[in-house]
Amino acid sequence: MKKIKGNSVSIGVAIGKAKIINKHELYIKNKKILKSEIKFELSRFKEDVKFVINELDKLIQDYTYSKENRDILESHKLILQDPEFNKRISILISEDQNCLEQAINTYFTEAIDIFSNVNNKYLSHKVNDFEDVAYRLLSHIKGERKDILEDVDENSILIMENISPSFVTTVFDKNIQGLCTERGSRNSHSSIIARSMNLPMLVNTMGLLGNIKDGEDLIIDGNDGYVIISPTKSVLKKYEAICKKEKNIQKGLLSLIDKESITKDGKKIKLMSNIEIPQEIDQVLKYNSTGIGLFRTEFLFIDREDLPTEEEQYKIYKDIVEQCKPNPVTIRTIDVGGDKLSNILNITYEQNPNLGCRGIRISLQNIPIFKQQIKAILRANIHGNIKIMFPMISGVEELLKVKEIIKICSKELINAGITFNADMELGAMIEIPSAVITSDLIAEECDFLSIGTNDLIQYILAVDRDNQSISDYYKPTHPSVIRSIKLTVDNAHKHGIKVAVCGEMASEKEYVKLLLALGVDELSVSPGRLLLIKKEIINCDIAKMKLKLEKILSCKTSTDVDKLL
Amino acid sequence: MVRKTIRIVNKLGMHARPATMIVKAATKYRSEFRIIKSDMEINGKSIMGVMTLAAEFGSELELVADGVDEKFLIQEIIEMFLNKFGEE
Repeated sequence: MKKIKGNSVSIGVAIGKAKIINKHELYIKNKKILKSEIKFELSRFKEDVKFVINELDKLIQDYTYSKENRDILESHKLILQDPEFNKRISILISEDQNCLEQAINTYFTEAIDIFSNVNNKYLSHKVNDFEDVAYRLLSHIKGERKDILEDVDENSILIMENISPSFVTTVFDKNIQGLCTERGSRNSHSSIIARSMNLPMLVNTMGLLGNIKDGEDLIIDGNDGYVIISPTKSVLKKYEAICKKEKNIQKGLLSLIDKESITKDGKKIKLMSNIEIPQEIDQVLKYNSTGIGLFRTEFLFIDREDLPTEEEQYKIYKDIVEQCKPNPVTIRTIDVGGDKLSNILNITYEQNPNLGCRGIRISLQNIPIFKQQIKAILRANIHGNIKIMFPMISGVEELLKVKEIIKICSKELINAGITFNADMELGAMIEIPSAVITSDLIAEECDFLSIGTNDLIQYILAVDRDNQSISDYYKPTHPSVIRSIKLTVDNAHKHGIKVAVCGEMASEKEYVKLLLALGVDELSVSPGRLLLIKKEIINCDIAKMKLKLEKILSCKTSTDVDKLL
Repeated sequence: MVRKTIRIVNKLGMHARPATMIVKAATKYRSEFRIIKSDMEINGKSIMGVMTLAAEFGSELELVADGVDEKFLIQEIIEMFLNKFGEE
């Protein structure tokens, strides 16, 4: 038995057989060709390269929105367009009379050799790119594209060095137990998708590939962040029990897919999804969520050196809106700290970024960028039901400015003769204490409010939750937090509008009943947590919980509140 | 023919991203473009070639362009080097 540490990016236990995905293993025939075949072989080369370049172009447009992934695919294209590559293949075919497969194999073997021996850490990883391109091209020529995942079954745990962007969709289409990659990060597309699918996944499992054989028994412990190779009987038994329990819970939850989210005493609660990237939409639809309560648009802007165009944004919004129709998609305008956008914008150093230029403040300081986003949203609204939401609103003033900008954008679109639909609900994120205190005034200007609990707790309690030494102060049930939510809900209801909670508090089952008792109308959670939270809603008796609320509201400390929950 | 000598001033040296930038820029022009580093000479329009240079911070390169638009090509490439390929 061997145990290897990794970083868990998606919790849960998976038990299965290791399936090492080494996508670069292709059998290449060493065949010489006749002189009369040279012309045909050269034309084949041209055609095949053209095909693969087209395929890459499609991937660049369809699947990858992050600058990093796009760069990788762009560099793959350059490898295929390299004039030296073309020259060398032509020589290998017409002078050495190699068949096309062999010529390509020879070229890439040489290239990979050079980069494996180069003493430069920025270049040595380029080996992967050359392997990727060689595989893509050769598998196309041989018509064996689907082979790599052929003997993957529902018992498999995939082991890979990394999931290349061109491979993500294929991997997640397979029915597997879990996956491990030697590299990768929590925020990569594959990790995000694994989380929304509830598929156990580890990244950074250093040395795993060198310690494992294809078909070996394997356990992923996504709760503690370990891979266990060839477990002993007793260890296996222990994990089988955990896995069975998790599976039973999941099975029970799946039976709730078609159930409505109505509380025991008959109140209908709208349960929606939070998504970070467009690919999560598959899970949103699978779990039958009643729309998207928070579509973060940050992925469009970070990790890149240029700005997304209005057209690029329009296409992405349109696609999601159409798939969710008739359910609403709540699009939140860009919400990042300036530090994340330093590639694009001229951001000056901030001593206190959490209290600095972020959220709506960035948009209002960069009106052209903001207008592009608003216009893309207005245009996409033709295709379905969009709600627009603004982050980091501190009071009515920003809302008035935002409304003015929407008007200007509408006028400009009319003048340009571009069709759009300005009929959409407009909401403010409530996450700054001043917005809570003036929520009566804000509610007058909005069609809905959405409470972002993560930031709200941080700002109300003045605590950075990533700061380990004070993390004890981060208390979701602190009386000040509960009172803030209550004040916001009461003010919204007085003005006849609804309140959603889209922060992490809505995703934690112990807080669901409390939020509903406080009068919250809608919850928005990550797709992977949807059914778990639906179960809580169905089991909740708001009337009964309201009796308890009196006591909760009179608690003096969060410890006292927690005891009552 | 235009020849220019340039020193690499971006800290990370000639890694994958600058290499990509150079090839993309050079490919737009019709002139031939070669890069020479001590005893090595490569085609500046070849990603494979530029990357195998693996030129590090402080090392010196000779850029050679030859053709109708050689001046513009060299100018654009030199600017990229001077801008440190957008790093920092």
